[in-house]
Amino acid sequence: MAKTELQEKTNTKIETDEGSNLKGTLASVFLLGAFLIVTWVGVYYLYLDRF
Amino acid sequence: MHMHKFEKAWLGFGIGALLVFLTVIGVSAFYLGNQPPSCLATIDPEKVDTTAPFNEPGLKKVEGKEWDYELVFVASAFNYNPGEVKVPLGAKVKVMATSKDVVHGFEVAGTNINMMLEPGYISELVTTFDKPGEYLILCNEYCGIGHHMMSSKIEVVE
Repeated sequence: MAKTELQEKTNTKIETDEGSNLKGTLASVFLLGAFLIVTWVGVYYLYLDRF
Repeated sequence: MHMHKFEKAWLGFGIGALLVFLTVIGVSAFYLGNQPPSCLATIDPEKVDTTAPFNEPGLKKVEGKEWDYELVFVASAFNYNPGEVKVPLGAKVKVMATSKDVVHGFEVAGTNINMMLEPGYISELVTTFDKPGEYLILCNEYCGIGHHMMSSKIEVVE
C-alpha cells in the first residue's frame, strides 16, 4: 500500500525570475539567418553566372 | 499579447529577408523574363517525326526573330537526336525539345538549361552560349531501363 502523505502538500510558489535570457537564442538564430542569406545569395550568383 | 523584443527582431529579419528574396526573383521573372522553360504548345507525340520543326532536329540559323538560331532536339527512349551538335560561341539560341514516348529530362550540365520533356508538349528556352567548351546533355528524369545511358553533347566553338 502506498505511503500516504502525513500532511497536506504545501503549494510551493513557483519563482519567477526577471525573464529568460534570450541573448544566446537571438545570436543563434541570427547565425542561422546569416547562413541562409549567404547560401541564398551564393546560389543566386551561380545562377546569374551560368548560361 | 506581449512579444519579446528579440522575437520582434527575428520576425522582422525573417519577413525582411523574405521580401527581398521574393522581390529579386519577381523582378527577374516578370521584368527580366527569366521564366521556367515551357511553351505550353502541344504536339502529337506519335507525329513528332513528321511535325516541324522536329522533323529536322539540330541547329538552324533563323532570321527575323529575337534569337539567331534554333536548336531542336527530339528525345526518345533512350537517346537524343541529335547525338551531338556544335554551337558558335556567343550565339543566342532558342532550344526546343519534345519527347516521343515518355517523360525525359533535358539538362545541359553546368548551365541553366534544364527542362522536362513531356510527350505531347514542347519545351523551349532561349539562352546565349557565351562560354566555350564541351557540355554534356543528360536525362535527369527517370525514363526506363536505359535512362542512365541517355546523353548528348553540345560543343560551343569559336
